[in-house]
Amino acid sequence: MAIINIQDLVKDYDTNGIAVRALRNVVLTVEKGEFTAIAGPSGSGKTTLLNIIGGLDSPTSGTVHVVGKDLAVLSPKGLSDMRLEKIGFIFQAYNLIPVLTALENVEYILLLQGTGKEERRGRAMRILEEVGLGKEINRRPKELSGGQQQRVAVARAIVSEPELVLADEPTANLDQKTGAGLLDLMHELNHRKNITFIFSTHDRMVMDYAERLISLTDGIIVSDEKKKSRREGAVITKPKKMKSKR
Amino acid sequence: MKIARYGKNMTIFMMISWRNMWRQKRRSLVVISSMAVGIFAMIFSIGFMNGMTVQMVENTINTTLGHIAIHERGYQKNMKLKYNFFPEERYYRALERSNLIKGFTPRVKIKGMISSSETSRGIMLMGIDPEREKTVSSIYHYTIKERGSRYLSDASSDEILISKYLAEKLELEVGDRAVFRIVDENKEMTGFAMRIAGLFESPVEAFDSSVVIAGIKRLQKLSGLGDNVSEISVRTKNKNAVDAAKEYLIRAIPDSHREILSWKDMEPSLIGYIELQDKMIYIFFMIMFITVVFSIANTLIMSIMERFHELGVMKCIGTRPSHIFFMVVFEAVNLGMVGLVAGLVITVPLVLVLGVTGIDFSFAIDAMRKWRIGTMVYPLIFMKDIIAATVTVLITTVVASLYPAGKASRIKPLEALHFI
Repeated sequence: MAIINIQDLVKDYDTNGIAVRALRNVVLTVEKGEFTAIAGPSGSGKTTLLNIIGGLDSPTSGTVHVVGKDLAVLSPKGLSDMRLEKIGFIFQAYNLIPVLTALENVEYILLLQGTGKEERRGRAMRILEEVGLGKEINRRPKELSGGQQQRVAVARAIVSEPELVLADEPTANLDQKTGAGLLDLMHELNHRKNITFIFSTHDRMVMDYAERLISLTDGIIVSDEKKKSRREGAVITKPKKMKSKR
Repeated sequence: MKIARYGKNMTIFMMISWRNMWRQKRRSLVVISSMAVGIFAMIFSIGFMNGMTVQMVENTINTTLGHIAIHERGYQKNMKLKYNFFPEERYYRALERSNLIKGFTPRVKIKGMISSSETSRGIMLMGIDPEREKTVSSIYHYTIKERGSRYLSDASSDEILISKYLAEKLELEVGDRAVFRIVDENKEMTGFAMRIAGLFESPVEAFDSSVVIAGIKRLQKLSGLGDNVSEISVRTKNKNAVDAAKEYLIRAIPDSHREILSWKDMEPSLIGYIELQDKMIYIFFMIMFITVVFSIANTLIMSIMERFHELGVMKCIGTRPSHIFFMVVFEAVNLGMVGLVAGLVITVPLVLVLGVTGIDFSFAIDAMRKWRIGTMVYPLIFMKDIIAATVTVLITTVVASLYPAGKASRIKPLEALHFI
């Protein structure tokens, strides 16, 4: 089942009166449960693509269906609700709410979804234990290391068991060991909970972990390969449709 | 269901806004301090004005006015002897029956001249029943009880009480005789002398400079009034009972020749002053409103600009614009309420203490006595003043937050994510 279906996606930006084409006729389908990396150099359009999939940005032309919904017909409130219910976000700079503890940051999403207090707390505690932060639940972000903050961000992204997690260069601010640990964690969650992960990255290690690697250059998908993950025991899913055209 | 979910969400935004307030402690404390100082200035000024007003009213009631007076119709406009009346027994029975009434006393008031060997002045001779008068006015308490000065012994004696102020002007002392001239019941000029039994000093300059007190029976005899009186002055159990007691007396003494007036009817200028003061309080509130609006709006705008990226992230992960809007409003309300509490914690105990000890204004004694206030002012705050201040702060902070909250709620997530 395709969780993302993109047809002829074009995105233009107006930079000081000069039109810049960030994405050129992208066609992409991602199936449920994929562990996909979108790789490419800076300015290749990978973050723009992720932002459009997440409903944070709108295409200049083309259609984008995420979790069966055409993003073009959703109102700002509808997009907000879709992000809340269906998508988890992991940012390069962690972006936790600084005045909330690790536990409260994870609970925040469930609270917005209207989950009851006991269930909310229980799920948040369990997920923090799963990401190895069971003892740090009452610490605020500034009291945690970068790796720990990113683990909280992962916990926040997956606590509501969304269908899709979008991660924008999640390991960029982490050292290699911490980054590898985080990727192990996400890969495990991908397999155990069947959550679809899409990363944007230019980190070789992330590309190695991915089971599908989409390379983007100047807004064009130049390659799309399914591969075996570096991680042992990874299960490779087979996407049905992968192409890009100018 | 949706409303319940929305309500649940609000608790986390209240908590976030409370914690956000303390992220920039110094800046928040500056705003809170300025709010507290504003509340202090506002509540203390109102307390001071309340104290002055209450004292002005009380002092006027305690000297001549009483809470209620029974007059011959027309007497209030023209204090001529022809408007004196015979107090029928049924009046006294009606007054004694009511449990709203603390005391009552008949009085005779006659305009005349007082002369000493040095000078003469126009005055009003007020005839009182010394014992009954104690239940209505404070003349007994105003009487100086030293150096031979004492209160009147009985209603028939040939004695007077004169103010210390008038005694000094006329160069009279206790034991001296003063000469009076009045126009009697037969419209004949009549003169007589009476001995000064005591001096008094009230907080009301107009009373001290124009009233001389004598026994009622002696004055009725000298003026040829017989048993007629100018008024029956009534004191109720408390000021709140005045209107009910007046209504009762109108029903209990149905007489078209009499009029029953409350202190508000007799001194409309005092009511005018109280109304003016209430309007001035609104002006105080308005000044504070304007100051606080700009102070809080400025702080919130700075705070939002600093958290532009963070607010964008919150929107990215599914926070609705309305949640962001209310979060900023809560932040403003928190600032306002903490400032209000700090202001009240400083002000209320201070006003309560000063309400007992008073503030000494003896350096401005002449002006204070002219305004019937006395030399000490006892500040007084009412619950309605605290409620008004709370509502003002609440409305002000919400109004101040509307623009910043609207701005924050309209932040575009993507722009905010790129904002460092």
